[in-house]
Amino acid sequence: MLNSLYQTVWLVPCYSLLGTILVIPWSPGLMRNLGPRASGYINILLTTIAFLHSLLALPIALQSSTQYSSFNWLETANLNISLDLEFSQVNIIALILITGLNLLAQIYAVGYMEMDWGWPRFFSLLNLFEAGMCTLVLCNSLFFSYVVLEILTLGTYLLIGFWFNQSLVVTGARDAFLTKRVGDLILLMGVVALLPLAGTWNYTELAKWAQTAQISSQTATLLCLALIAGPLAKCAQFPLHLWLDEAMEGPMPATILRSTVVVSTGAWVLIKLQPVLALSGITSEVMLVIGAATAVGASLIAIAQIDIKRSLSYSVSGYMGLVFIAVATQQETIALKLLLVYGLAMALLVMSIGGIVLNNISQDLRQYGGLWSRRPISGVAYLVGATALVAFPPLGGFWVLSEFVQGLWKEHPAVALVVILVNGLTAFSVMREFCAIFGGEPKAMTVRSPEGLWALVLPMTFLTGMVLHLPLLLGVAGLLPNSGSFNEGLIGMLLLSTLLGGGLAIYIYLNDKITKPIVLQPQGIQDFFAYDFYTAKLYKLTIVGAVNLVSQLISWFDRFIIDGIVNLVGLVTVFSGQSLKYNVSGQTQFYALSILIGVAIFCFLILL
Amino acid sequence: MQLQLEYFLLIAAALFCIGIYGLITSRNAVRVLMSIELLLNSVNLNLMGFSNFLDPLGIKGQVFTVFVITIAAAEAAVGLAIILAIYRNRDTIDMEQFNLLKW
Repeated sequence: MLNSLYQTVWLVPCYSLLGTILVIPWSPGLMRNLGPRASGYINILLTTIAFLHSLLALPIALQSSTQYSSFNWLETANLNISLDLEFSQVNIIALILITGLNLLAQIYAVGYMEMDWGWPRFFSLLNLFEAGMCTLVLCNSLFFSYVVLEILTLGTYLLIGFWFNQSLVVTGARDAFLTKRVGDLILLMGVVALLPLAGTWNYTELAKWAQTAQISSQTATLLCLALIAGPLAKCAQFPLHLWLDEAMEGPMPATILRSTVVVSTGAWVLIKLQPVLALSGITSEVMLVIGAATAVGASLIAIAQIDIKRSLSYSVSGYMGLVFIAVATQQETIALKLLLVYGLAMALLVMSIGGIVLNNISQDLRQYGGLWSRRPISGVAYLVGATALVAFPPLGGFWVLSEFVQGLWKEHPAVALVVILVNGLTAFSVMREFCAIFGGEPKAMTVRSPEGLWALVLPMTFLTGMVLHLPLLLGVAGLLPNSGSFNEGLIGMLLLSTLLGGGLAIYIYLNDKITKPIVLQPQGIQDFFAYDFYTAKLYKLTIVGAVNLVSQLISWFDRFIIDGIVNLVGLVTVFSGQSLKYNVSGQTQFYALSILIGVAIFCFLILL
Repeated sequence: MQLQLEYFLLIAAALFCIGIYGLITSRNAVRVLMSIELLLNSVNLNLMGFSNFLDPLGIKGQVFTVFVITIAAAEAAVGLAIILAIYRNRDTIDMEQFNLLKW
């Protein structure tokens, strides 16, 4: 029984896809008297099936070795594209994580989307995401990873643009689509360039090829740079990070999914591609620089935000930067563990925040305060999520980050310090949010703030339990670092950064003697971070401006030069007709003269 | 001085050109008809000249001339009738007033 479940684990994406299609009849325009709710329940049912299926397949997966299977998708002259699937321990765990988080997000959405008519659209998109991500983790082919990434890009566009009558939603969805699309297209260049070199798109074969590949360093650099461009945009890394900030205009349950798993899809491809990326030293350094810059920059930006969702979204970018660093330094296992730990913790943070936003209306941190006594469950959930995110024993983040820092210390001590710095900054940022929301005196927006409905609280508490048990599970799976190899100094620094960051935030934000809102001197620095390094302006001035200018020029050229030349032919014909008609003067004598002149010229020509 | 064919032809050509000039420049429609008569007569002169110098025995040119004169008479009559008809309608025989059928 279990074995057959393991054999058919490729059905997991199909369940979600079925859900995407099944709920269409509940769209408000199709069946006017059905109401939207059943669509949510159907999708939850299918997600539950998918979750249970992958969960039950896990015991077999833990015992058996990695299995591969392959379907032929397309066979033409010289090209054979096959859909390669891989069933391994890691894949099944990723499936469980995705379906589990999606299940929680969907139950959460039942509560959160109570006053909304758009359930069919929302839930079908959530399930499309789930199907896409499950396919992504199962498929073992770079080509199909790309296909799924593009489908997910479209899904992101539709899901962010869910409430499309809000203007900021429309621009946010546009930016999310275009930014991710640019990355995906450059990734496509890399994918296409890789085939003639390696002869395959299968990750396993690519890894084998990369071990003995003989290609020039220039080719390798260009290829690998193209390959990291896709994950760069997907993971919201500098400089393609603005979309994640604007994507916070979407509905909260979708944000749970996006902040945790969707951004991880890029990291997944990056981890899978790691053997190929190792071919080029320059690319590793570029990834290292980008990851470090994003991790530090985004954490600083997160501290300067006043919008709670955006503050968390920059922490997402920051943690994805850490994943980039891990992949750049060939620590894929750490990257995968980081994704697991981070995914659960961030989902918990977003869930807690979502419940707060839902009945306090405002997302402005300056208008929150004093919710600890009224919202204990949300508060505890937030605290657990925050402590699991940063290095705080005994929760998950501590183990992964300490292992990470120790791995880095030998070869890249500076990067290890960056990770410690990011940990401190993130600790400051999440504690600042905690103190602003739950600490202090209640303000006008938070005077009456009841705890959310069961549908909001249940997934939150369940996830809290998951996060709390994660270290135990990691211990059972043997994924915790060996305590014998601990470098006490580094761990001490890591812990110190957490305590310093968190403590400083608590000291500043729970201290009535410091006037809030805090204004830095000079204020330019604060604005610089609060406005996200003015990235929107930067885009507008550089890429958007240039493309706009060029397209206007081309449009002008097309309209006036190309069109003009063609129109000129017609115009000349019309004009000549209009002017030549005056030859028909109505004067008989003029006709006689024309005849005579004609005859005269003719005779002259003959005689010549 | 021996009369030669060329003289007749030159005279006829000169007369023809005068007729052309009158045909194109006259404003009076009757004068246009008169110019046409000049053209016809210059042609007759040609025919007579050719007849006398090149075909003195057959004199087919003279036969032609007789036909031309008769046809010209009929044509002038019809022309005058047309002019009269136009005059009745438009009260003028100025050629420059007759440019109604233009573009």
